[in-house]
Amino acid sequence: MKLTTLKKQLAVISFLILIPVWALGQTITVRGTVTDDQGETLLGVSVKEIGTTNGATTNNNGKYEIKVKGNASLVFSYVGYKNKTVPVSNQQILNVEMEPDVLGLEEVVVVGYGTQRKEAVTGSVASIKGDIMREIPSTNMSQALQGRIAGVEMSQTSSKPGAEMQIRIRGTRSLTASNDPLVVLDGIPFAGNISDINPNDIKSIDILKDASATAIYGSRGANGVLLVTTNKGIAGQQARVTYNGYYGTSQVFSKIDMMDGEQFAAMRAFANMSAYKTNTADEIEGTNTDWQDLFYKTGKIQSHDVSVAGGTERGSYTFGVGYYKNEGVVPLEGYSRISLRGSLDQEVGKIFRIGFTTNSNYNVTEAASSGGLYQVLQNTPLINPYNADGTWKRTVDMPADKGVWVYTRDVVEAKRDLMLSQTKGFGSYNSVYGEVKVPGVEGLKYRVNVGLNFRMSTGGAYTGPGINATSETNPSAASVSNSLRTNWAIENLLTYDRTFADKHQVNAVAMYSAEETMYNRSRMTAKGVAENFQWYNLGMTDGERSILPGDQQYEKSGLLSYMGRVMYSYDSRYMISATLRADGSSRLAPGHQWHTYPAVSIGWNVKKESFMQDVNWLDNLKMRVGYGETSNQAVAPYATLGGLSTRPYNFGDAPANFVTGTYVSTLPNTKLGWEFSTTWNYGFDFSLLKNRLYGTFEYYVTNTKDLLLSVNLPQTSGVGSFMANVGETQNKGFELSLNAVILDNLNGWNWTAGVNLYTNQNKIVSLASGNLKDEGNAWFVGSSINSIYAPKKIGLWQEGDPFMNILEPGGNAGMIKIEYLGEYYKEGDNIPKDRQVGDPVRAMDGGGKDRQVIELDPDFQGGFNTTLGYKGIDLTVIGAFKSGGTLISSLYSANGYLNMLSGRRGNVDVDYWTPENTDAKYPKPGGMMSSDNPKYGNTLALFDASYMKIRTITLGYNFKLRAVKDLGIQNLRLYASVQNPFVLFAPYTNETGMDPETNSYGDENMASASGLANRRILTVGTNSPSTRNYLVGLSITF
Amino acid sequence: MLFLSACNDILVEQPRATYEPGFFTTKEGVQSGLTSMYAHLRYIYGQGYYYNITLTGTDEYTWANSADGNFKDADMTSGGTMTPSTSRADVLWNAAFPNINTASGVIENAEAVGLAPSLIAEARFFRAFDYFQLVQTFGGVPLDLGGGVMKFNKSTVRTSVRNTVPEVYTIGIFPDLKQAITDLPETPRIVGAATKTVARLYLAKAYLTYAWWLQNPNNIPTYPETARTDPDGHDAAWYFQQAYDVAAEAITNPGSAGLQSTYYKVHLAQNDRNNEVLLLADHTNASEQYNGGISFSYGNGEAPDNFACWMVTPQMENIRSGKKSDGSDVISSVQREAAQWGGRPWTRMAPPQGVFTKTFADKTNDSRFDGTFTSVYRGNWTKNSGLSSITTLYNANNLPVSPGDAILSFLPDETLTSTLSYTSGKSNIGAGVVAGRADYVIPPSGINRQYFPGLWKIGTYRTDNGSGLGTPNGSTCRPFVIAKFSELFLVAAEAAVKGATTKAITGTYANDGTARGLVNVLRARAGKWSFSNAENKAKVEDHSAEMIAATPATIDINYILAERSREFFGEGYRWFDLVRTQKWEEIAGTYEIADTGTHTPKTFTRVINKAVHYLRPIPQAQIDRLDMSDDEKKAYQNPGY
Repeated sequence: MKLTTLKKQLAVISFLILIPVWALGQTITVRGTVTDDQGETLLGVSVKEIGTTNGATTNNNGKYEIKVKGNASLVFSYVGYKNKTVPVSNQQILNVEMEPDVLGLEEVVVVGYGTQRKEAVTGSVASIKGDIMREIPSTNMSQALQGRIAGVEMSQTSSKPGAEMQIRIRGTRSLTASNDPLVVLDGIPFAGNISDINPNDIKSIDILKDASATAIYGSRGANGVLLVTTNKGIAGQQARVTYNGYYGTSQVFSKIDMMDGEQFAAMRAFANMSAYKTNTADEIEGTNTDWQDLFYKTGKIQSHDVSVAGGTERGSYTFGVGYYKNEGVVPLEGYSRISLRGSLDQEVGKIFRIGFTTNSNYNVTEAASSGGLYQVLQNTPLINPYNADGTWKRTVDMPADKGVWVYTRDVVEAKRDLMLSQTKGFGSYNSVYGEVKVPGVEGLKYRVNVGLNFRMSTGGAYTGPGINATSETNPSAASVSNSLRTNWAIENLLTYDRTFADKHQVNAVAMYSAEETMYNRSRMTAKGVAENFQWYNLGMTDGERSILPGDQQYEKSGLLSYMGRVMYSYDSRYMISATLRADGSSRLAPGHQWHTYPAVSIGWNVKKESFMQDVNWLDNLKMRVGYGETSNQAVAPYATLGGLSTRPYNFGDAPANFVTGTYVSTLPNTKLGWEFSTTWNYGFDFSLLKNRLYGTFEYYVTNTKDLLLSVNLPQTSGVGSFMANVGETQNKGFELSLNAVILDNLNGWNWTAGVNLYTNQNKIVSLASGNLKDEGNAWFVGSSINSIYAPKKIGLWQEGDPFMNILEPGGNAGMIKIEYLGEYYKEGDNIPKDRQVGDPVRAMDGGGKDRQVIELDPDFQGGFNTTLGYKGIDLTVIGAFKSGGTLISSLYSANGYLNMLSGRRGNVDVDYWTPENTDAKYPKPGGMMSSDNPKYGNTLALFDASYMKIRTITLGYNFKLRAVKDLGIQNLRLYASVQNPFVLFAPYTNETGMDPETNSYGDENMASASGLANRRILTVGTNSPSTRNYLVGLSITF
Repeated sequence: MLFLSACNDILVEQPRATYEPGFFTTKEGVQSGLTSMYAHLRYIYGQGYYYNITLTGTDEYTWANSADGNFKDADMTSGGTMTPSTSRADVLWNAAFPNINTASGVIENAEAVGLAPSLIAEARFFRAFDYFQLVQTFGGVPLDLGGGVMKFNKSTVRTSVRNTVPEVYTIGIFPDLKQAITDLPETPRIVGAATKTVARLYLAKAYLTYAWWLQNPNNIPTYPETARTDPDGHDAAWYFQQAYDVAAEAITNPGSAGLQSTYYKVHLAQNDRNNEVLLLADHTNASEQYNGGISFSYGNGEAPDNFACWMVTPQMENIRSGKKSDGSDVISSVQREAAQWGGRPWTRMAPPQGVFTKTFADKTNDSRFDGTFTSVYRGNWTKNSGLSSITTLYNANNLPVSPGDAILSFLPDETLTSTLSYTSGKSNIGAGVVAGRADYVIPPSGINRQYFPGLWKIGTYRTDNGSGLGTPNGSTCRPFVIAKFSELFLVAAEAAVKGATTKAITGTYANDGTARGLVNVLRARAGKWSFSNAENKAKVEDHSAEMIAATPATIDINYILAERSREFFGEGYRWFDLVRTQKWEEIAGTYEIADTGTHTPKTFTRVINKAVHYLRPIPQAQIDRLDMSDDEKKAYQNPGY
C-alpha cells in the first residue's frame, strides 16, 4: 500500500509552482550510516527518495550514498523497524537510528488482493513471519504452525515422514464437505500439497480467520485462508546470499508399552483360554523378545537451503534451491524433497510492471509396501524369532495365528527392493502478473494474475514372492499409479488506491476471476512380476493384471467469481471494509450454482482519539467488529449427479465370462446448492506499558447452514446415500494472544514471551428433516460434530455387585461395566415373576440402547513461546497445550487387537483385574468376550486428552564479531534444537508413556477398522511412532 | 478477459471416470445391472457371519472354541442373545434391498432398451428371491422403497413402512416367479445363470413356506401383525398343493438340470458348477479382481469373499507327531493347506454330537456322511518345504506314519471307546489312542468344541498349489452353492406330507410321486459310492437297496427334516427349515457336545423364545437411519427386540 498522502503531493505541487525550474536541477550527494537502537550498523536498509524511484541500500558497514535534490525527503525502511522519514534539508551527512517496530503496526499485512497496514486491518487476520515460523524446523509449514496461532488448530493425521497435518481454523463447520482452509501461494489459490512449499522460502503467512476477511475468497474461503508469501528481493538491494541448514537424528519418543515375556506369560496363564494357552513351538517360556527394539532404527533429518536475493534499480529478483530429507525410525520410511524457487519483479517504462513467481519441487516418499507396526506388535514376547543357527526365522506360529511373517528391521532392510512402496511427486506452482497504472487517473491500476499449477505423482509398490506371506510361493504383487492435477486461474483486478485530504484513505478493488482444476489418476496392478522388474514392467508377467474401475479417477471442476471490495479509513481512526462476492461453481446443481454474499467490518483506533491522548499507560487500542457470509462448495465434483457402484463377477472360470456389473448406489440431487456460514467477529488489539505488553482478543460466532451432507439412506430405500443441503452447525469461541517484553536490554538481557489460548465450542444445531440424531454418523443436535456414540465404561463388575446376572447374563466379575441407560421396574409395572421392583428391565445392550454421546473437543488449547537472550546467545522454548477433551487410542481398544487380554497375540501392558487386584482399570483376562476381545473393549480406548508439550527448545548464537563482518558475512547463526523433548500434565502419557498427539484417522492403523470412531475423528493407532529429534543448524548470510 | 468465452463452459460437468444413474436407462446399463444381481449373491452367500446365523443355534451347528459374540448370540446357549446390533441377519438386509431396487430398475427400463424377456425374467427372479429370503428372516418387509410398490426408487425418502407377510408373498414374490418361469430358458444363458428350473424351485419353496405360515400349527406370532388369511383367497392346503405341483413339474422337466450320479460328485471341488447346482454365488481363482477383489494370499473374512468354510474348520494343525522314534522332537504333522479337507481354521462353529449319532447314524450305506465331512486327517508335512525331507514321523503309540497316512481319525461309532485312552497320547490335542493304531482317534462321544470333523463339502480349493500347501489364508475361490436340483424332491415330499395330492412323476426321475417315492430317489443316489473321503481312495459300491429298505413306510415332517439335514448339511438351510416347520425348539432346543479340552459330552439348552426368535431383529443401522419418531421406530422393530 502506498503511504503517500495527498498533503505531500500538494507539497510537491507547490514546489513545482513556487521554485524556479533551475533550482530543481540542483542535486547533492548525501552519505550516512544507519544503525539500530543498540548502535549496531544495519546492512541492506532501503533508502528511498520520496516520490521517486530513486533509491539505495546500506552496505556491510551500514553506510549508504545517494544523489538527491537538496530539498527531498528520504525514507529509510528495514524489516522489523519502523519506517523513518528524514528531510534532507541540504545536509550532506545524514546518520539515522532506526527504531524497532515491536507491534509491527507499520508492517503491511497481506489481506488478499492487496495489502493493508496492520494498523488499519478490521477483519480477523493473524500473521506470522517466516523466521518466527522456522523456529520450529519442520518438513512443512503445517507442522511449524502447530500451537503458534490462536484459533488455528493443526492436528497430526499421520506420523510418517513427510505427512501433513489437518488444519482447522476456528473449528469444524461442515459435516461431510471439506473443512480444509484455502491456501493462497503468492496470490494464487494453491492447488497442491502443503509439503510442496518449502518452509524456508516463506516470508510470511497471513491467516484470514473471520468471514469479513475471507469473504473476498468467497466460497474458497469458508474454512479460513492461509496466505503464504514467499521471499522476494528488494529493489535497489545488493545481492545477498543466504544459507540455512540443519542436520539431526530422531529417536522413538517412546515405545508402545507392551507386556514383556514374563508379564505376558502370566496374563496368558491367568486368562486360561483353551485356544491360546498352549505355547507353540516358537514360543518358549522365559523368552522376552522386544519386537519394537528389533524394529525401530534411528532416523535422520537434514535440510539445506541456499538462496540469493537482490535488486536492480527498478526491479528485484530472488532465486533459491533447497534440499530436505527425513529418514524415519520405521525401516524404509522416508521423505525427501528438492525445491526450486524464483521470482522476478520489474518495472517497465513508466506505467508497466511485470513479474512472476515459480515454486517447483520434486519429492520422494518411501515406505514398506506391506505390513507395518501392527505386525510387529502382534507378536507375543515369548516368540523366539531366531533359528538355532542365529538366522531369522521366516515365519513364526502363535496359538491361533500360524505362519506369521517375521517383520524386523534387519529383515525389512535386507529385502528393501522386494518390499518397497515409493511415490515420486513433482509440483510446479507458478504465477505471472502484469500491472498497468491507468494513465490519467491517479491511484488506478489494472492487474492481471495468471496462475498455472501442475502436480504429478507416480507411485510404485512391489511385494516380492513370499514377502509378508505365510507361503513362500505366494506370488509377487506390483502396482503402479499415476496422477496429474492441473489448475489454472486468471484474475482481472482493478485497484484504486488513493488518499484524499491527508485523512481519507480509499482502497477499492474489483475483480473477475475464473479457475479450473482437473485431476486424473490411474492405477494398475499385476501379480507374479519377477523381482528385477519391481513395478517397472507390469506387462512382464503371465499372472493376473488388473485395472480396477474404482482405482481410476477423473475430476474437473470450475469456479467463476466476481468480487468488489472497498476499504476506507479516516485519519487511521475509523476504518471500514466492505466486500461483495458472487461465485458460480460447477460442483453444484444447475440453477443452484451461483451465490452472492456480503461482508463488512469496521474498526476504531480508540487511542487516536483526542480524549485518549492522556492515557499514558495505553499505547494502542483498536476495536473491531466484522460480519460476513461465506460459503462452501467443497463437495466432490459430480456429487449432484448421483452415481453407480461397480461389482465384478465371474460366471464360471473362463475369463471370457468375467464381467462387471453396476447398480445405483447414490441418488442425484438436482437441488444441491451452497452451504454457507455467517460469522460475527469482535476483536480488540491493544498494547500497554510502552509496548511491553500487547495482544489481541477476539470472540466469534459462526453459524453454518444448508450443510453439504452425504445422507445415509435407510437400507430399505435401496440406495446407499445422497448428497444434500441439510442441517446447521455453530462454532463459537474466543482467542487471546498475548506478548510481553519482560526484559528489554537490561544489562544485555532480553526476555520475551508469548502465549495464545483459544476455545472453540462446536455444536450441531439441526440435522436432516428435523432429525435430532444420526446415530450411524454420531451426529446429535446439541452436541459437537467431534463426538462418538458408544457405551461408556464406568468401571469393572465386582463380585457381589447388584444386578450383574440381569444386566450381564453370563458375565463375570472383572468384566467391563458400562453405564446402563435403561429403566428399572417400578411399582405398578407388569413385573415378571423372577424380578422385583428396582430391578433393571433388560440386559445391557452395548451395541444399541446403552450407547451415549461422548464429545471429544478440548475445553481450550493454545501455545506458548519464550526467548531469553544475552548478547548474541538466545534460548527459545516453544510449546503447545490442550486441556480437556477425549483422546481415542485404538491401541487399547478392541479394534486395535492389541488389548485382547486373552493371550492370543502381543498385548499392551495394562493393569488388569484379578481377584487380588480388583481396583484395576482393565478387565479380567479371559473374561466375557465379544469378537476376540473383552466385551465392550472399545470403551478402553478413551483417555483424557489434556497435555502440555514442549515442542522445541533451541539454543542459538549469533556471531556479531567484527571478524565475521569483515569476511562479508552479515549474519552468522549456529543453533542446536531438541524437538518434542517432553510432555507434561498428560494423563495419557502418564499411563502409557506415549505421545498424546493423534497420528491416524479414525479408521486407520488398527487391526479391525470398523467400529469406534468415524474416519473424521483423529486417533492414536499403530502408525509410525512419534519421535524426539536432536538438530544442529547453521544459517549464514553474505 | 481472454478466457471469457471458455468460462461459460467451466460450470458444466462431464464425468469421465464414473457412471451417473442415467447409464441405467441404456442397454449396457441394464445389462450391467443384471450382472450386479448375480454379484450381489456374494455379499450374502459365503459371507461367514451370515452363514453362521443360518446354522448356528440349530441341530447342525453350535458355537465352537474360537467363537465370538457373533456366534454365541446366534447360538442362544451360553448367555448369548440376539439383538438388533449383534444379529448378523443385517448381511441379508443390507444386500437385498439395493438389489431389489436394481431389479426394479432393470424391469422398468428393460423394455425401452429392447432387452429380451428372458433377461428381464432374471431380474424378476432375483427380486422375488430377495423378498423370499427377507420375509422368511424378518417377517413383513417394505414393498415400496420410496418410488411406489415394486417400483424403482429414485427418491431420497428416509421413512419406511413394512408390508405384511401375505402382502410380500402375493405381491412381491409369486407374480415375479410365475412370470420368470414363463420367460426364463431351460438351460442357463451363461454358467450359473437363472433357469426355469431354479425359478420353479423357489416358487415351490415359497408356496410351501407360505402354506406353513397360513397354517401356523404352533401359533408363532407374525409381524407386522396380520390375520392368517390369504389376500388371494386361498388356504394352506391350496398352497401346499401348488408347492407340490410346481416342484413335480420341475422334476419332470428338468431342462439341463439333474442329479449327479453320486453324492460325492455334487460337492467335489473339481466338479463345481455341475448340473445339480441350480444357483450359486460364483468365485474363481483365475482372477482376484473378478473373484471380488479379496486377496488370494490373505483374506480378512469379509464379503464378497466366500469364507464360510473357515468358520467350521477345526484346528487340526495343532496335532503333533514326533521326528524321533520315541515320539519326541515334535512337529505339526497336519499342516494348514488350501485343500478341500483343510483350509483356514477359524473354528467358530462346531457340529454337536447328535449330527454323528442321529442325523448321520448310518455312515456305511449312506455316502452322504463321507461326502459331507472330513473325518480322517492325513499327514501332509512334506508339502511344507522346510519339512519335505522328513519321510517318517512317529504318531500314536510311537508308530511310524508316512505322508498321506491317517494322523487323526474321527471314529464312526463308539465300538472302540472302551479301549481307547485319552491320557496317554502326545497328540497335543487330547485325542485318544488305541493300542496298535498309528492314528489318534476320537469317537463321536469325544467330539468337543475345538476338535470335530470339518465340513469337506464347502472346503477351500485352488488349482495353483503345486506341490505345496498353497495359500490357505486367502480367498476360498470356490462357488458357494445356494440351491440344488435335489431340493425339489424334498420340497415336493414335504408338501405331500402336508397333504398335497400326489401323482406319479415321469421322466428321468420317475417315481410314484409320494413322499416316500420322492425321498427314495435321493436316498437311492446316496447309496451309490464312487470315492471314499475317509479312505482317500476310489470306492465304487452301490447300497441303494439298503438305503431304500431303511426308509420308513410312513414319512412324517420330522423325517423330512432329518433327510433335509443329511442332504443339505451345512449349506445354510437349517434355520429356515426349522422356522418354516415351527420345529426349532423341538429339534434344536438341546444338544450335546464336550467342552474344549474334554471328551465328556454335556447337554446344553438353548433359550428360544417362540414369541420373539422366529423373526430376526431389524438391523440397528436401519433403525438408526430412519427419519421417524422413536415410537414409530419401535413399531418398526420386531417385537421383543
